[in-house]
Amino acid sequence: MKFSFESLLNAGGSRLTYGLLNLRILGWILYGFTRPGILVPSQILSQIIRIGVQAIPMASLVSLSVGFILAMQSSTELGKMGADSFIPDLVSLSLMRELGPLLVAIIVVGRSGSAVAAELGTMKVNEEIEALRVMAIDPIRYLVVPRFIALIIMLPCMTIFGNCVGLVGGWAVCTLEMGMPSSFYIMRAMQRPELWDLFSGLIKTAVFAHIIITIACYQGLNVEGGAEGVGRATTSAVVYSILWIIIADTILTGLFYFVL
Amino acid sequence: MSPTPKKTNPSSDVILEVKDLVQSYNGRAVLNGLNFKVRKGETFVIMGGSGCGKTTLLRILIGAQKPTSGSVHLFGEDITKASSQELDRIRLRFGMNFQFGALFQSMTVGENIALPLQEHSQVDPSLIEMIVKMKLELVGLTGFENFKPSELSGGMRKRVGLARALALDPELLFSDEPTSGLDPVMTAVVDQLTLDSTRKIGVTAVVVSHDMTSCFRIATHMLMLGNGPRQGEIIAEGTPDEIRANPDPFLQQFVRGEADGPIAFRLSQDDYLKHLLQEG
Ligand SMILES: Nc1ncnc2c1ncn2[C@@H]1O[C@H](COP(=O)(O)OP(=O)(O)OP(=O)(O)O)[C@@H](O)[C@H]1O
Ligand SMILES: [Mg+2]
Repeated sequence: MKFSFESLLNAGGSRLTYGLLNLRILGWILYGFTRPGILVPSQILSQIIRIGVQAIPMASLVSLSVGFILAMQSSTELGKMGADSFIPDLVSLSLMRELGPLLVAIIVVGRSGSAVAAELGTMKVNEEIEALRVMAIDPIRYLVVPRFIALIIMLPCMTIFGNCVGLVGGWAVCTLEMGMPSSFYIMRAMQRPELWDLFSGLIKTAVFAHIIITIACYQGLNVEGGAEGVGRATTSAVVYSILWIIIADTILTGLFYFVL
Repeated sequence: MSPTPKKTNPSSDVILEVKDLVQSYNGRAVLNGLNFKVRKGETFVIMGGSGCGKTTLLRILIGAQKPTSGSVHLFGEDITKASSQELDRIRLRFGMNFQFGALFQSMTVGENIALPLQEHSQVDPSLIEMIVKMKLELVGLTGFENFKPSELSGGMRKRVGLARALALDPELLFSDEPTSGLDPVMTAVVDQLTLDSTRKIGVTAVVVSHDMTSCFRIATHMLMLGNGPRQGEIIAEGTPDEIRANPDPFLQQFVRGEADGPIAFRLSQDDYLKHLLQEG
């Protein structure tokens, strides 16, 4: 049989397993690049705003707090060894490699993943998904793909932004509390990380975005049984997303540590 | 008008054909071996008591659900065996008005009606806006474009659902209880709309309803599904006159809307006692 994107779009017929969902998203995105009108920029933009931009204040607050915490916690221990000057390094490295991607992802799970699962679940219960199908509009293309692309774009952006805010938190503690000169903090925090430190964090972020949005959409589209089902799907989306994010984080960190 | 050869051949203008359709849930047959045909230009009304499987039947007819067994030929193609792409092609030729509207809650009324046009027609936005206004006028909702479905009454939502189903000017319209929850005037308006679509534009309509006045007003062909002891079978089928003349007591009770008759709403005194004592 000749391979075609079209066969990916409807993989599995009316069943929707997690694997099939992923296949169909991939199919629609590839298909969307060959055919205009499939990926609608205005829809992607509105999702970028709803599931990305609107989560920025919360993500910033958390990143800022983590910046404070990192600087304060490390200053007690590093201070004893007279290694105060390494605090900026520690703050920026931990944020870029690990804490930035992880914490922003967890905020987005709680804020946007749950919202997507609840929204799609309500649409399922309300027969809106059915109505889309009957109008020959594929719900994966119309509902899932814009959200998927939006989060894949936004989560890395939010993570970079969060990292910057976290660095400001560390700076506040170092300069105001420990009397470190600002120029010294900025120099250390910027010089120490290599490009790879940023990239390894961003690779994690892309994987997390994929986990968050596919699990949320999968749970939402598979809701059965009214409002109770929507509640269950939302809880599952949050719990499974966080679980898989942490598992993926462990695997990726191990990979970067041992292999690269 | 000269008679076309097609008209003389009754099988060629069959739009929808259902054969030996069975749908069971957990071993309970809700639809049990249905056979019927809908011809072009008909207003085919499906009647039956609450829970007799009308919505289930409609869902199968539009390909939203695969039946346990049997076949459904829509425009000559068996939709129970069609692939998703084939189904999508067929779906562009009919509209569906859901029992509870199934409107997109996140969109305005106007956007709801515009969606099928945006997705499936190449008309430009200003024209779409005009078509939306026309469809809203048809169902008596001029000026409600910017309302959200949650800001409408149940009957208004139903009418938006009907307007959306008619957005692409389908050849075939499925309508699940389009008039339940509407006041008498709006019932007449919606019935008139169905009549206009079928008589003037030539749309074929398959309408589920248990409002007898409106059934007899619009139907050119009627089908009554049984429930209770006769769950899942066709009790009667025919033109409105045939239905009125049908002596079946089950049917007559339904048509006249009487509480006493073969349609048992409650258990008899003895059965009731037995049922209660068994439980205890
Ligand atoms: N998903 C399902 N699982 C199990 N049983 C179902 C399911 N859907 C419908 N049924 C059963 O099928 C029967 C018919 O339901 P349906 O919704 O088709 O009734 P209806 O004729 O449309 O009734 P109403 O006039 O009240 O809308 C009911 O007895 C219902 O319990
Ligand atoms: Mg029903």
